[in-house]
Amino acid sequence: MNSCAIRIEDLSVAFGGRTVIDNLNLEIGQGGPTFLLGRSGSGKTTLLRAINRLNECFPGCVTRGQVSLQLGGDWVDAYAPGTVVETLRRQAGMVFQSPNVLPLSVARNVILPLRTVLNLPADECEARMEQALRDVHLWNEVGDRLAAPAASLSGGQQQRLCLARALALRPEVLLLDEPTASLDFKAARQIEELLVELKTRYTLVVVSHSLSQAHRLAEQVFVLRDGGRVERLEEEVFRDKEALLAVMDELV
Amino acid sequence: MERMLRLFAWGASVLVPAVLLTLLAFLLWRGVPGWSLALFFGDTPPLDAVLRGAPVFDGLWPACLGTVALVLLATAIAVPLGIASGVYQAEFASPRQRAALSFCVDLLAGIPSILMGLFGFALILLLRKTVAPAANTGLLLSAGCLALLVLPYLISTTRLALESVPHELRLAGACLGLSHGQVVGRILLPAALHGIFGGVILAVGRAAEDTAVILLTGVVANAGAPSSLFGKYEALPFHIYYLAAEYQTPAQLAQAFAAALVLLCITGGLFAVARLLRAHLETRWKTGRSQ
Repeated sequence: MNSCAIRIEDLSVAFGGRTVIDNLNLEIGQGGPTFLLGRSGSGKTTLLRAINRLNECFPGCVTRGQVSLQLGGDWVDAYAPGTVVETLRRQAGMVFQSPNVLPLSVARNVILPLRTVLNLPADECEARMEQALRDVHLWNEVGDRLAAPAASLSGGQQQRLCLARALALRPEVLLLDEPTASLDFKAARQIEELLVELKTRYTLVVVSHSLSQAHRLAEQVFVLRDGGRVERLEEEVFRDKEALLAVMDELV
Repeated sequence: MERMLRLFAWGASVLVPAVLLTLLAFLLWRGVPGWSLALFFGDTPPLDAVLRGAPVFDGLWPACLGTVALVLLATAIAVPLGIASGVYQAEFASPRQRAALSFCVDLLAGIPSILMGLFGFALILLLRKTVAPAANTGLLLSAGCLALLVLPYLISTTRLALESVPHELRLAGACLGLSHGQVVGRILLPAALHGIFGGVILAVGRAAEDTAVILLTGVVANAGAPSSLFGKYEALPFHIYYLAAEYQTPAQLAQAFAAALVLLCITGGLFAVARLLRAHLETRWKTGRSQ
């Protein structure tokens, strides 16, 4: 395993008094992709959102424990009082299960956060937008219709646009919540190929229901069990399809 | 039974445009024959009245100016307050604060307009007896009272429009590193523009047609064009009310119908301006460019 990029210690998350994650400990290596597997409701998404403190956007959320991320060469305690949550979320970008493009043009989807969060000049925003769209292989497809509504793109293109939007902010960690779940086979394959490319530049943490995806792409696999317990799978297990199936049957 | 229900729903939905069209046709039938330059400017040359501000003694021009000034002033007071209050309720207030504020807004919405006029009148009396002996009813007082009257529409529509923005947009903004204030200002408010402008249009319409408030707070029959914020003024709703209640000849009643049609046109014009402004703002937000 590569050196540790995210360290989670004694993490507990509850919503309105209902505990979703209980006393969870985990170390995620740099690069990846690190896959989080488990049944629906086992707390995978909650765990992902605990890393960039997005759970706080939901009412009644109480988080205890420690989440530390290696950002810019330093360890940052996500829940420390001095941590600026907006900076944390920019450095740990996120892509959701369903592409959640803003109801804006293709270009504005990428440029609005750059202007608002980083206050970059217009030409720098344009340059970053183009680079990000090239990084996700979208530039050739939408470069001539940047003013078109983002919602007019196909599902796969929208998901890549969301990825480009996160990449334009130059994060160090990418959190992907079932990024291919709402896509067809071809679009899902494009996203998977992107993950392989991006793993050399970013720490990728992927929530997935697809065992074959984990089998093909993962560098590290954790399985969340009910009650928030977590099991780390050895590489020889998740590289062997049959063994992975057998272990998953046993664990979840 | 289902067929009856469907028939009833169809009838109800047809009724609204039918009533509206009947009303419009009736107003056009009675109002259009009365339209002439003399209706607006009386004996004063129109260009003198429009460009040089020559006084108009027997026409609707001063009342048109008074109505436009009143509506613009009232919306200029009410729109920022209403939208800011709606944003606070939807985005920043605790559940307890929200409930208390909602209750106050509902109470304010239930206050009859004549009472609002009475409040304005009583306020002037109080000011005259205390800190401002020279205080008098006028355009600003009317606009302030009208602003209070339309405030609940603006607050409620802003709050509802923000609450109906999909939660995914909040999450998208937050996970891109926008602060809560930035999410509200850069994503939620623009996304809710359609609903918010619905409230603005309602408020404009309500401010343009109300007679009870202005009756007690500064409108008079023959004040001429509004000359200052504190002066008396003329307004079309009052003019229509006055003519319809006191007319002596059929010609005066015809003038009331013509004035009603003018009021409808002015309100329609203000609606159109509000819609154009909304379209402009939406385009600028969505593409980063003006139309």
